[in-house]
Amino acid sequence: MSTAREEILTALRRGERGGNSAPAPWRSRQQFDDLAARFTATLTGLHGEMIRAASADEALDRLGDVLRDLGAARVVVNDEPPLAGVDLAARWPGIAWHVVGRTEGDLRAFCAGADAGVTGADAALAETGSVTVSSGPGRSRMASLLPPVHIALVAAERLTSDILTWAAARSGDLPANVTAISGPSKTADIEQTLAIGMHGPKRVIVILYGE
Amino acid sequence: MNEVSFHTFRADAALAIANPHLQSAVDGATLKFRRDRLRALADLPDVEAMRDHFKAMRAATLANLSEHLEQFERQALAAGAHVHWARDAAEATQIVIGIARQHGARLAVKAKSMTSEEIHLNAALDEAGITPVETDLGEWIVQLAAESPAHIVVPALHKTRQQVAELFTREVGRPLSADDIPALTNEARRALRKKFLAAEIGISGANIGVAETGSIVLVTNEGNGRMVSSVPPVHVAVMGVEKVCPTWDDAAVWLELLARSSTGQPLSVYTTAITGPARDGDADGPRELHIVLYDGGRSGMLGTGYEEVLQCIRCGACLNHCPVYQEIAGQTYGHAYSGPIGAVLVPLLHGLEQYEALPHASSLCGACLEVCPARIDLPRMLLDLRAEEVARGVIAPPEQALEKSAAWLLGHRRLFGLLTDVGRVFQRPLLSKDGLRVPRRLNPAGKRRLPSLAPRSFHALWDELAAEEEAVAGAAPVKRAVRAPSRGRIAAVIGASVVPLVVLWHLLRRRGGKR
Repeated sequence: MSTAREEILTALRRGERGGNSAPAPWRSRQQFDDLAARFTATLTGLHGEMIRAASADEALDRLGDVLRDLGAARVVVNDEPPLAGVDLAARWPGIAWHVVGRTEGDLRAFCAGADAGVTGADAALAETGSVTVSSGPGRSRMASLLPPVHIALVAAERLTSDILTWAAARSGDLPANVTAISGPSKTADIEQTLAIGMHGPKRVIVILYGE
Repeated sequence: MNEVSFHTFRADAALAIANPHLQSAVDGATLKFRRDRLRALADLPDVEAMRDHFKAMRAATLANLSEHLEQFERQALAAGAHVHWARDAAEATQIVIGIARQHGARLAVKAKSMTSEEIHLNAALDEAGITPVETDLGEWIVQLAAESPAHIVVPALHKTRQQVAELFTREVGRPLSADDIPALTNEARRALRKKFLAAEIGISGANIGVAETGSIVLVTNEGNGRMVSSVPPVHVAVMGVEKVCPTWDDAAVWLELLARSSTGQPLSVYTTAITGPARDGDADGPRELHIVLYDGGRSGMLGTGYEEVLQCIRCGACLNHCPVYQEIAGQTYGHAYSGPIGAVLVPLLHGLEQYEALPHASSLCGACLEVCPARIDLPRMLLDLRAEEVARGVIAPPEQALEKSAAWLLGHRRLFGLLTDVGRVFQRPLLSKDGLRVPRRLNPAGKRRLPSLAPRSFHALWDELAAEEEAVAGAAPVKRAVRAPSRGRIAAVIGASVVPLVVLWHLLRRRGGKR
């Protein structure tokens, strides 16, 4: 195996032109007057859904409305802001909750049978209507992937212009998995006809809260 | 291994052109992609400068590729990934099979990956007793039909909904209607969801490798990339060595251009950055991540006139804009890589002798160069490959002799004029209203009618026209005009020479094809 490594690297070095011609990093030239407005316009254009809330408290109220409208009985929720520490069972007693990292039992099986997954988001990209979710303790990859509905609660202060500004602001280690989600899963592989909800959620609902 | 000779290529192209569903599917899809691409790129400020930057970044990365790969490897190892190196397809597939066996895997779910097509991973897994299931809807359809992809981005482009319904009916064991495409998609969702949950191993390619953090980036719309890298306990990613970039700033530019150039989306639905396997305390995710760095002939292109092809990001824009691809579609190219990029890349990867026809699958219109996010000069490389075919004797000696005589003849205008005059006399018995009536068996153009030599050559007409103008406008100024256009004479010669050349060329090629 190491022979393959050495051989490939040697062959590459033989062909390389060398020198340092790397251009200076490209910086975003997008100028959005209103990040939230652009985010909303792009996300809804991608068949995503958008709800505004003035505060984290109100975001939880809106979350309750959404879950009620869905008739959700089983919901998986990431243990992260603004949901961490909320007594979900007391607030919504009719729902079977799986709080990632706290509730006992098989997370994967629960996600596969859940009606909705609720997560926070580290960032929201205005240009592309994307929210980024990360792995970590209390943060499930599958909560935003397996259930048919993904609800993301995003603080407005997490809005950034685009993936270039996201990359420029990034520092240090990355979590094992970071995913930018831009609307519901989709495909057009059969006769170029759009079908929503191939493998991932069929609905993506973003609750954007705060100023 | 597929071999695409002139003969098989022409036969397959004829089949594709005669297939009305394929024609309308390719026209519809490529037109939509072209329109959406324009709209998506228009949303980026200074997009042309951004493309220039991207090209410069890709070129600079290749100039020191080994260093970037070593950094990528260091960082990936530090994040807990296993890194493997594979010189060729056999080595790459053996590595993947070894990992699968180590975990007792019987079922492997696969995200869409061109590199895995390139190494024929499915066939190798099958042979090793591991069932690979493609989970990109289009790839799954193509797999169920036991075919190869018709387009880099939309593999099942050529399939009708009726064909898809039949394939799915066979797979799920219940009759399915072709009327409702979302319902068919939902059936696929259900069937493949079971596979995701049952598979012991997930396999993907990698759109980008980011050296500074040792991350790989996976981009999908359906979520198959997220599924194979999140649900099974082991994830294996096969990445071509050219897919690495130094920093996240570079990866961000790459991502800004990739989906826009490809499907005309600002960003694909899911863009996932994977840095090592699940960490201690992570709620879920694969226990193991293996990254296979695959060379497969790429290192041999560095420093050659074909190095640019390593800047390709597999967006498919060149396919969508190619007038030849739009007629013959992907499968005629005899390889998973089709269109202009395939016409250059496939002979370089697998040998010009095996894919002799591909460098000719182009009108050299230059559209591919114009739309390529990395501005790869595919037309130049197509010409270089053709020149190499001549130099290496891939083009048969009789044809080479013919081309040389034609060039000589074109350089001797009087002789050429004489010959076409002779031709005009001899074609008389064959003349009809719309060309030459040649008995079918003798017609080198097959079913098509050969054009006749014009009653008067362009050159003669030009002289005549000039003389008329002279008569109208007076002698002095027009005299120059008559003498000046020696270009016109050349054009006349070329124009009049086409017919006999085409005839001879076809005769020789037909013979060559039966070799």
